[in-house]
Amino acid sequence: MHDKDTVFKELRATLVELFELDPARITPETHLYDDLQIDSIDAIDLMERLHRQTGRKVATERFRSVRTVSDLVDTVHQLVNQA
Amino acid sequence: MNAMVDRTPPRPIRDLYWLRVATTGLGFLIFGVFGSLLGILVVPLLLILPGKAATRRVRVRRMLRLAFRAFAGFMHHSGAISYSMAGVERLGRPGQLIIANHPSLIDIVLLIAHVPGAGCVVKRAAWRNPSMVLAVSAAGYVPNAPTDRMIERAAALLAAGESLIMFPEGTRTVPDHERHFHRGAASVALRSARIVTPVYIRVEPPALMKGVPWYRIPVPRAHYALRVGTDIDLAPFRDQPLPIASRALNDCFIRTYAQATGTH
Repeated sequence: MHDKDTVFKELRATLVELFELDPARITPETHLYDDLQIDSIDAIDLMERLHRQTGRKVATERFRSVRTVSDLVDTVHQLVNQA
Repeated sequence: MNAMVDRTPPRPIRDLYWLRVATTGLGFLIFGVFGSLLGILVVPLLLILPGKAATRRVRVRRMLRLAFRAFAGFMHHSGAISYSMAGVERLGRPGQLIIANHPSLIDIVLLIAHVPGAGCVVKRAAWRNPSMVLAVSAAGYVPNAPTDRMIERAAALLAAGESLIMFPEGTRTVPDHERHFHRGAASVALRSARIVTPVYIRVEPPALMKGVPWYRIPVPRAHYALRVGTDIDLAPFRDQPLPIASRALNDCFIRTYAQATGTH
């Protein structure tokens, strides 16, 4: 089972690689769109990446309410821990 | 000898203005009436005819192309507008993504009229219009939205070897505004396009713009110039992660259009 801290670290590594970001800019409070300029097209690329990493398909709808890195961690945490 | 001197009188500035208002209106009326008849009666007939889904799609696209060609011909020959195409023979290649700017209501019609067999990403409103919904669905057109479904469907058409028309500006543009391209087209291109070809559309003087009623036509006759540009090489964008690469490619699109059309 992945705890939220592990999920956060893995997600940060993914974001750094995919968007060429400085890891220091990514905290749980970081706003994906306002702070990192990650928009709906990026979200699609990110979901595909998560799909490959977790083997689970994430529906775009589940990302509608995601605003911050911590929202994203919660969504992915739920996803990997659901039976 | 002054045989080389062009003796045709200069076109009058107003150039049959009221006649053009009338033919423009008539053009849209015919387009509306025949378009609805095609959408409501002819498309269902085409769908009843035997054949696989792919055959039907080809059939519907051909019908749309002929209908759009007839409309373009009417607008041109009635003198409502004039238009010219350069390089269209390079459009419609397998796996080709065709991107175009969208300054006017009917440039999409002129483009579809001249590209054989192409799919198109069309605004979602077409699926809510009773006379259009069957045609756009049967033609396998893709409703525009910034969602994974749009990106996947558009990419799948290209991967299957079809050609696809996209308008990265999303909606008709207001002249003199800074150009904004949605990154969806760049993202689709990097996923599965074999070739990306820009089409530069220039309407001079501007006509049938967003927010302007159809009868407010420009005083001189509007000329639509559609010019097919050189293919955009995707190789330099291939070795980066998709979000970075699609941004870089989108910037490349914007630069290419700025250079070609002299705007920004």
